[in-house]
Amino acid sequence: MSSIKVIACSGIGKAMGLMAREAALQVTDKLAPDVAETVCLAYIVTGDEDARNKVEDLNCITVDGCPAMCAAKSVEHAGGIVQAKYRVIDEMRSHKGVNAGTGTALTEDGWQIVDELAEKIAGKVAELIREDQSNG
Amino acid sequence: MDEKQVGVLSCSGEECLGGTIARLATRKVMEVLRPDNVVTLCLPLYIAGGEEERDFAKTYPVISVDACDKCCAKRATIKYSGAVKDSLVLSDILGEDVVLSKIVSARDLKEEHYKMVDEAAEEICKRVDKILAE
Repeated sequence: MSSIKVIACSGIGKAMGLMAREAALQVTDKLAPDVAETVCLAYIVTGDEDARNKVEDLNCITVDGCPAMCAAKSVEHAGGIVQAKYRVIDEMRSHKGVNAGTGTALTEDGWQIVDELAEKIAGKVAELIREDQSNG
Repeated sequence: MDEKQVGVLSCSGEECLGGTIARLATRKVMEVLRPDNVVTLCLPLYIAGGEEERDFAKTYPVISVDACDKCCAKRATIKYSGAVKDSLVLSDILGEDVVLSKIVSARDLKEEHYKMVDEAAEEICKRVDKILAE
């Protein structure tokens, strides 16, 4: 069984890019390190064969900050099977008016939203692993 | 009079410490050290974005900032947008072992890592200033 790839946009311009990055890292480093791993999105963007091999025909979850959906589009472009697409902007809708921080540093509220999103992603990782196991 | 603008494009690699340092150093240059002269772009917009994003290196002289010798930011810029004016590879100044460390989350950064951010930001500024002086 190959691990689930959790790939974030890491958008540099806004807090939402940092939140996407941190949510993905929370999953791969802390919540599901044995079954999930991340891949440098910049490496995927280069189009190198080695980079494609890291995602092509493999189960991936993308985490984007904004509607540009850079991670989802880039992973699909490289042949990854995107099983779920998360967007921080969607999470922010249930936290209207909250100051999450900046692209450099998050506030306590920003980290709280990151943790909530990471729990959702980890739940999806577990679901995909169960499906994979039940399919033999 | 409009200030001259330089594009600084970071790899922001998610697999290693160097990506985090590259990202933070680029943000520090943009926000604090050279706020009037530096613009940036999310690198994957070369694929997800439109013509405007792919014209980035034609619109601005670009400095690529990469964590490791894969040089993803540099190579992606050359592939999708145009030539880079200058480049910085953090493993050259911080060492390969350091940049490939698995401490990546901002939660885990310590003072020593922020010193690396400062060092990388200084190197970016040297390159920005050189282009501005041309």
